[in-house]
Amino acid sequence: MNEFFVAVGLGLCLLVFLVLYRVIFGPGVFNRIAAISAVGTKTLIILLVLGYVYNRVDMFIDISMVYALLNFIGCIAAAKYLEMER
Amino acid sequence: MGYIIAALSVVCLLGGLFFFATATIGLLRFPDFFTRLHATGKGDTLAVFLCLIGFAIHEGLSLTAMKIVVIAVFMFLAQPTATHAISRAGIRHGLKPWVKGEERQ
Amino acid sequence: MIASSDDIIIKTIARIFVPFIQLYALYVIMHGHYSPGGGFQGGVILGASMALLLITHGYDEVKRRFPENVVLLMGSVGVLIYAGIGLTCLLLGGNYLDYGQLSVILHVEPAHARSLGILGVELGVGFTVMAIMYSIFFDISTGGILPGDDKLNGELEDNG
Repeated sequence: MNEFFVAVGLGLCLLVFLVLYRVIFGPGVFNRIAAISAVGTKTLIILLVLGYVYNRVDMFIDISMVYALLNFIGCIAAAKYLEMER
Repeated sequence: MGYIIAALSVVCLLGGLFFFATATIGLLRFPDFFTRLHATGKGDTLAVFLCLIGFAIHEGLSLTAMKIVVIAVFMFLAQPTATHAISRAGIRHGLKPWVKGEERQ
Repeated sequence: MIASSDDIIIKTIARIFVPFIQLYALYVIMHGHYSPGGGFQGGVILGASMALLLITHGYDEVKRRFPENVVLLMGSVGVLIYAGIGLTCLLLGGNYLDYGQLSVILHVEPAHARSLGILGVELGVGFTVMAIMYSIFFDISTGGILPGDDKLNGELEDNG
């Protein structure tokens, strides 16, 4: 089962590199924010996979939860700032 | 019994990986901001949910599994809200939706 | 100055989430010695929950619930808890923050007293970090001039 989790994590890392294209070259700041949000959701799963690989899920689950929380708050804050800017 | 649980977990994780891949392809290939947001907003939400449920099934009944379910519920509420906020900011900022025949952005 | 968001979806979701985020922050502070986390990290999560409330519900609403002088009071009380526990250990004959000495006051064995002492120190650190993060966010988002502060506003307008 552990090898399967490692394979899932490697696949997610590949997808993160693909999304980084949109973060770097995406026209305008809105495309970049959408792509960064997608990277954040993938990172959450990668953290859990790391927890299973190192056999310390009870530690990594807390980090994963805080990551989800800060990703959400960051998205809302960026949206609020761009809405005000005009 | 152990085989059934492992198979369910593998199926959920593979489904999550598939939806992550489709969301990424949509983010890379779609023509403008709103369609890309459409792809990632829906695809990533379902993919995160499936992956977390797969992990919870593999974990069995424990405190960690309960925390994973809490994260799944949180993401299921938070991800659409964040997508909604970003798209609303885009409309307010003056981005025009793409219509057929226009140049890709 | 930050105005309240006029979108009912974002406001409702934020209102539902904020108490659970604060509960999770308290869990991170309390479980600091068994799992990742501790006073600073829990305080940052508490500050993030207040920032979420400020972003979605606007300055006036948050100021009514959690005014500036209460924020500064909380930051000072946190430092006072930290220094107070440290100085108590010093007065009881140990080093600064030597929690084992607290067993004389608390009537428990030294190992238990160490756990309780660390918990108290982390609560103090958490309160201070939360108050200072919230205060920094307040000052940056309002430019340092608080809208209710008419006297200061008048002086600045006279000068410039």
